[in-house]
Parts: sequence; structure tokens; C-alpha cells
Amino acid sequence: MTTLFINDEEVTVTAGTSILEACRKHGADVPYFCYHPELSVAANCRMCLVEVEGFAKPAASCCTPVSEGMKVRTQSEGLSKDRQMVMEYLLIHHPLDCPVCDQGGACKLQDYTITHGANHGRYAEEKRAVVDHDLGPFVSTCMTRCIHCTRCVRFADEIAGTGDMGILNRSDHMKIDGIVEEALESELSGNLAEICPVGALLDKPSHDVSRPWEVTRHKSTCTQCPQGCDIVIESRGKEVIRIKSDHEGVESWICDRGRYVYDAFRSVHRISQPTIKEGDGSVAVAWDEAFAHAVNILKDKKVGIVFSPYWSVEGLASIRMLKDVAFKDAKVAFDLHRRDMRMFAFEEGFGSSTEDIVEADEVVILGSDLRQRLPILMQMLRKRSNEGKSVSRIGAMHYRTNSELSNDQIIRPRDWHAVIARAMQQLIDQGKPAAGMKEWMAKVTDRHEAGKVLADALLADTCCLLVGEEIRSHVDAASLIFGLDMLMRASGHGEVGRDGRNLIPEGMNAQLLSAVFGDVRVSVGELLDAANDGDIEALLLIGSDPLGDGLFPVEAKRAMGKVPMVQVGAIAGQISVFADVQLPAAAYSEVEGTFINQEGRIRVATQPLKSLGEERALWKIMMRLAQDLGFEAPAVSLDGVREAIAQYIPELKDVWAGKADGGWKVPVKRNRIAEMLPNDIEPAMALDVVSRYSMYREGAWVRASASLAEAGRLHALDDVIVHPDTLAALGLKANDKCTFQTSNGACQFVAGTRDDVSPGVLFVSKRGVAGDLSSETMVNLSKGGA
Amino acid sequence: MQMIKRAFKTWLLWELVIGLSLTGRYMFRKKITVEYPEQRTPLSPRFRGLHALRRYDSGEERCIACKLCEVVCPALAIVIESKERQDGSRRTTRYDIDLTKCIYCGLCQEACPVDAIVETQEFEYATETRDALYYTKEMLLDVGDRLEAQITANLKADERYR
Repeated sequence: MTTLFINDEEVTVTAGTSILEACRKHGADVPYFCYHPELSVAANCRMCLVEVEGFAKPAASCCTPVSEGMKVRTQSEGLSKDRQMVMEYLLIHHPLDCPVCDQGGACKLQDYTITHGANHGRYAEEKRAVVDHDLGPFVSTCMTRCIHCTRCVRFADEIAGTGDMGILNRSDHMKIDGIVEEALESELSGNLAEICPVGALLDKPSHDVSRPWEVTRHKSTCTQCPQGCDIVIESRGKEVIRIKSDHEGVESWICDRGRYVYDAFRSVHRISQPTIKEGDGSVAVAWDEAFAHAVNILKDKKVGIVFSPYWSVEGLASIRMLKDVAFKDAKVAFDLHRRDMRMFAFEEGFGSSTEDIVEADEVVILGSDLRQRLPILMQMLRKRSNEGKSVSRIGAMHYRTNSELSNDQIIRPRDWHAVIARAMQQLIDQGKPAAGMKEWMAKVTDRHEAGKVLADALLADTCCLLVGEEIRSHVDAASLIFGLDMLMRASGHGEVGRDGRNLIPEGMNAQLLSAVFGDVRVSVGELLDAANDGDIEALLLIGSDPLGDGLFPVEAKRAMGKVPMVQVGAIAGQISVFADVQLPAAAYSEVEGTFINQEGRIRVATQPLKSLGEERALWKIMMRLAQDLGFEAPAVSLDGVREAIAQYIPELKDVWAGKADGGWKVPVKRNRIAEMLPNDIEPAMALDVVSRYSMYREGAWVRASASLAEAGRLHALDDVIVHPDTLAALGLKANDKCTFQTSNGACQFVAGTRDDVSPGVLFVSKRGVAGDLSSETMVNLSKGGA
Repeated sequence: MQMIKRAFKTWLLWELVIGLSLTGRYMFRKKITVEYPEQRTPLSPRFRGLHALRRYDSGEERCIACKLCEVVCPALAIVIESKERQDGSRRTTRYDIDLTKCIYCGLCQEACPVDAIVETQEFEYATETRDALYYTKEMLLDVGDRLEAQITANLKADERYR
């Protein structure tokens, strides 16, 4: 610790802190442009000058470390003059277009000109203009306004890990240049607009729409992926204008998916009032009439309920409450990416906290495109690998990442058993067996060398596994996860406190879902098949879109054509054409509610926006439905719903009462279950199908956003991808037409090739022409026919 | 003596004579009454009457949707919505002034960085309904087109005091 004096007040900070950080901590106001707490120090704006006793001239406080007994002054006549001169230089080429600049009103340059600048400019010569960059659908640029603080350059380099942005030339010709366009390849590119201290980089979708002073800020939780980042929603009236990261939150950055979904909030795809089907279209009706229609469809029928995990805890629990009173024999499903519904040895959700993962000696990503799936976690892993810590991966593709992987193995999904068996063998050889391993291994004949990566990592002191969608959606997922569980227990990473078992869930609130729906849930595919076979007579879809997402589009299409459907949701989506009744439910920004993220962190939203139209909170719709179906509503208030949830997770009661300290996390369920031995799956066909997850295309919310859809087009790979050798073996080249033999028949598509996918794997884009192939697990490939 | 003086004034209606003499003086003086609407008083160039939105000579609207008038308006009479126009410039999609709310303080024209919103010398716009006093962007631009000569002259006249 170092003690110094800031404006004659004694301050103690950790040694090595810069003066600027000490001043910020102490609350002394020092102006700055180029400094950012999350980025490296550049010290090129010279705005943060302070006087230090004994120094011959003012010191740039961001790059001067504190020393014992240092005497710092942040205000003096000399400093005012210095700052005025710095401002004058910065403003030489800055255009005077504050009235048309979106940053105006929230601009550091504007604020400091008022507080530190001169009251008139002396520069009467020509100002320069700089050519703008095209940064894609998210960030608009006006490079003439740039003051060359290089925050964006450092962000691209240090955080996003893309492109070679840099400063070219000197003096009047200085500009941000290089491969700037590559910044848009980053899934974090929206943060560029947020870190730019002036109006050079701005939000494109909300460009020229609002002014900073007319928006209201609501703290909320992003539900676009299980990460559940803290966000601030800026709204004008009922309209969502922008989503920003919450700087008081856990992480300073948010991903583009969570940020730019805001144009979905005000899009035409919102269901804003109750509608009923009439002829080919639908007509808006009053709530009472819509409920009457819904009751007609659902009453005394065998009902299938499919919902999405993105609702608040209260909304999700109310679905269970409705089922318990009104649809006792209903089938309930929510997992669009799970084929094996046997109980998993460790349920979905993280055993480790994010900090544990970042700190662990070894991290292994198993079968996940983590950069697309959890961009913020990937960004944290990138920080980790920048520090030289290892991150390994086993998966069906060398998925593109922005960080160095210490070991990256590609395998086919059918090899997972062999990989785990190989790792078990190594642990046993090194004297770390676990009960049941031998029996498990006996069922697997092959051993895959990628298992060595897994076993080596497990032998480290602390190790975290991130188990991804390739394993979770495997047909034999339960036995694979049981195998992993044995591995973790054998290597000592299974106990509480050292738990490294992290199964990446499909969406938010995974811990609550397994607590509340653990005993009743079935697979979405099974439910839809039941509807097709006539075992289910009506469907209740709550926010879920099985046509657009998930592994069961074929089953969904078949089932929805057959049985009547009631849709409750905020976004219409593709399924809306099949909906006989649509009931508008409030979006996550519009409800008072609780959200639980993958690691069990709880956030209670208390500042909801007003709904755009006639939307109601989901729990209200569910309770009203129960009433109209002739039952007593199990709860009539938010508190009532919460009381019911407390049966499942009693600690939440303290959270709502404000009694629990902020650190309490909802623990993940650990199932002590019977052994799950590998099934004998005879690989009948040559290629394993893996459906690719794209953060710009998955989810009804995302598809309703125009800017994310545009990004989806820019980032799209081929719809069907195989390894070039797979085609070469058949005498085919890339972009030839191929015939795919599936269990349901044959279909023809043009296949693209990529070197980075594993041979023997067929990658399918769920949203592409071949989306229906994602229902398959294996296919055969042959030469194109007619 | 005092009594004689009073009796004299009383019986000769002296007070009345004084009063009527004032009336008589004004009767023959030049009249100051303005016969509105045939006659009008001159107005200051700073007169704050009906609002107008101006255009440049090219016909391009001046307003750049900076919303400074909206935020400065003490009566919250102005409502603006903006969007990027096809050519990339920032423009209003809605510019409404509720003249029943407006207090004619003139802060909007003071705040305007491009002299787009101005208050003209027009004050004869009384209507039969309050609805008709809700001026939209098109109406305001029409006022500007109609009174541009007057507005320019007034701005010119006031220029040297700014």
C-alpha cells in the first residue's frame, strides 16, 4: 500500500496504482479522454495533467504511478491554463456539429470544453475532413470527429482480438486506419460506440433517433444468452432506444446480440395485442374474447406446453402452476436442443463461478462454439489465455475464436465415448480410478487420442470443464455426462468448492427449470411427435419457436399443421401463422421479475418499462387462463407467485425480501443417479450432423431485429458444410450438388467445404435452406442425382 | 371670504368647466386610436408571434433535429421525432408545437443553432377549436414559406444587437 496526498487529503492505495486511478477512487475530478479502466494506458490525450510536488512540469496522471508521500494537486491556475491549451489542440480539427451529433449531450469533449476549454477558438484556418469507414450494421462512423484517443484501437487489439487497427501518419494527417473493417467481425463491436469519448463511433440502429437527455435508464438483465449480463435499457416513453452495458455490473462489455436486439423491441414483429385467426390472417380482439377463444381450444384437451427459458423466474413458475391446476396430464417441454431426456449426472448450469473459471489452472471447452454461444465468457477466457493460462478445446470444428487455444482437437460427435474412455484409461493408469469407470469403459471399444487433452487437463490442480451443445444434444448425452462426472470425481474436481462441472444451459434460469420442471419435462421432439400422432390435441406455445430454433423443425411443422395452437409471447416469429390465438406477453424489459444466470447469480429487475401495447406479464396471463378454464387461480399477485416458487428454492424468499447478501447463488443440482452406461449405437450412416449455432440467427428476438438479421447475413457460412476430403472421396468438389440420405428419405443440397471442420461431420445451418437436416443425427452423402 | 369663493364656484359650475375644457382640448387634438384591422401598429422585429420553420434558399429545410428547442421549451409545447434521412442527414420526422401550451417566451428561437424555428410577427391565427392550434411540421413550414421575407427582414434588423 502506498500513501499519498491528493489536494492535501491523505489517500492510501495499492502500490503501482496510477495517480489517475487514485484520484478516481478518492473522488477527485481529473479530466481524461484516452484512459479506460479496462484498457491499457496510452497517455496520448494529455488531458489528465496534474501537478506533483517536486516534478518540474505537470505529469500525465494516467501513466504516472503513485509513490510514497507524493503530493498531488488536481486544481490550480497553471493546470487550468494547461488544460485549456490541450482542449484548444484537440478542438482544432473537431467539427462544430454538436447539434447533429448523437454524442451531443453525453460527450466528454463537449463537457470538458465547457468546464476546461476557452470561451472562443482562435483557429481560423481550414479544418480537415477524414473519410469514414464502413463498420457494418452496428456502428456508424464520422471519423472527422475523431480526437485520436486510440481507445478503439486498444479495444480491438486487447478485448475483441480482431484486426489491425492503428494510427497512421502524424499531425494533420493523423487518422485511425488499417483493417478497421475487421472490427465488425467481432461479436463485441457494439462496445466501440460505447467507449468512443466523442462522436466518431456511434450506434447505427439508433442513429439520429434520440438525445441523451430525453431517455430514461432502466437497470435490467439481458436474457439473450445464459450469461445474463447486467444491462441498462434506455427508453423514451415506452420505446426502447438503446441497450448499454451496466458499468456498475459484473462485466464492462456486452455482446452485439444482447445490445442490438433493441430494435426488436420496437419492431413490427412484436405481438402488441391479442389476436385470433380469421381466414388467412388474424384480427385484433379484446383480451376477454381472446381468452374465450383460448379456453375453447384448450379446455378438456390433452395439451402440450412448449415454452422458452427466457421468461422471468415468476413467469416460468406460473406455467407450472397453470399445468398443476388445469392440465394435470399435459406434456411440458422447453429444451429445443436436447434429444436425451434421461437425468443428467450434473444438471444444466455452472458448478464454478466465472471467477473460478478464469482463475483455474486448466479450462477445457467440450463441444461448444463458445464465442457464439457465450461471447462474454469467451472474452474472459481470452483475457486468461493472454495471461498465458491454458484453454483447450475438443469439438467438431476448429470454431473461430479470438484467442489462442493451447490445444484444439477435432472429433466427430460419435467419438465422444471414445474420447472419454481414453481419458478414463489414462486416469486409471495414473492411479486415479473412480467406481464405475471400468464398466463404463467396457461398453466402449474405441479409444480416441483427443482424450489425452482431457485427461491431462484433469490432472491439474484446478480444472473446469465447459460442456457444450455438442454433448448436450447428443443422443446418448446422459451417459456422456455421467462419464464426465466420473472423470471429475476421480480427479478431485467434483466436490463443492472445487466443482469444475459446467454444463452450458440453453437459456436463462436453468437451475430453476430443473427444480420446477425436473419431474415433468419431456423432449420437445417427443411432445411434437405426440401431437402428430394424436396423443396431444392442442398446443400452448409460450415464447418458444420450434420452427426457427432447435433440432426439431420437421416435427414442429408436422405437428402444427395438425393441432390447434395458442401462442403466448412477445415476438410473433415463424410459428405465428399457425397460431389460432395470440396472447401478448410482456418482454423481459417490461416485467418486474427475477432472473438467474448460468452460474446461479440472481438479479431482480425492479424498474420495468411500460409495455408498448396491451402486453401483460406472463404470470398474469397464466393465472387468468387458469381462472377462465374454470379453476381457482393459484396466485393472484406477484408475491403469491413468489411464495409458490419458494417451495422449490426457499432461499429466493430472502433474496426478494432483500435479506440475502448479494453473494448467494442458486446451486446447480447434482443428481446421485444410477449408472448411465453408453448405449450401443451402431453408426448406420457415414456423417454425423451437427447444427451450427449462430448468435445472429438463433432466437425469436434476434430474428425480429433488423440489424442483427443483417449481421447474420454478413457472418453466415454455407448452409451445409463438410470437410473437403469427404467430398473428394465421392469425386465431388465444393459447391456441387449432393444427395443426402436421411432416415426420412433423400434430399439434395449444395455442399460447401471448410478445412476447419472435422472429417465425417456435416455442419448444418438451422436457418438455411437445409435447416430441416438439423432434425437428423446422421446422414449418408452421395453424388447429386437429377 | 372662503364662503363667498365656494358659493361662486358652485353656482357658476366652475369644476365642470375645468373638466369639460380637458374634454374639449382632446376633441380637437390629433387622434391616436388605431382603427384595427384597417390600421395596424408597427411591430418590433423582436415581436414573438406565430412560429415558423424556415428553409434555405435551395428549398432544403433548415431544421436538423438537434432537439434543443424541445428541451429548452419551459411549457413542453414542442414534440420532435427524428431519423436519419436517406441521404444520411439528420432530419425530423415529426415537429409539433402545441400553441395552446406555448407561452411565447422565444427560448426556442434563441436555442436554435440554425435559425430554423423562429417566431414571426403574425398574431392573427385565432381558431374556433383548440385542435386547430396544434401545429405540425408541414403547417410550420408553410408559415415559414409564406413569411420568409418578413422573417429575413426582422433577423436582419435585429442582427447588430446580437
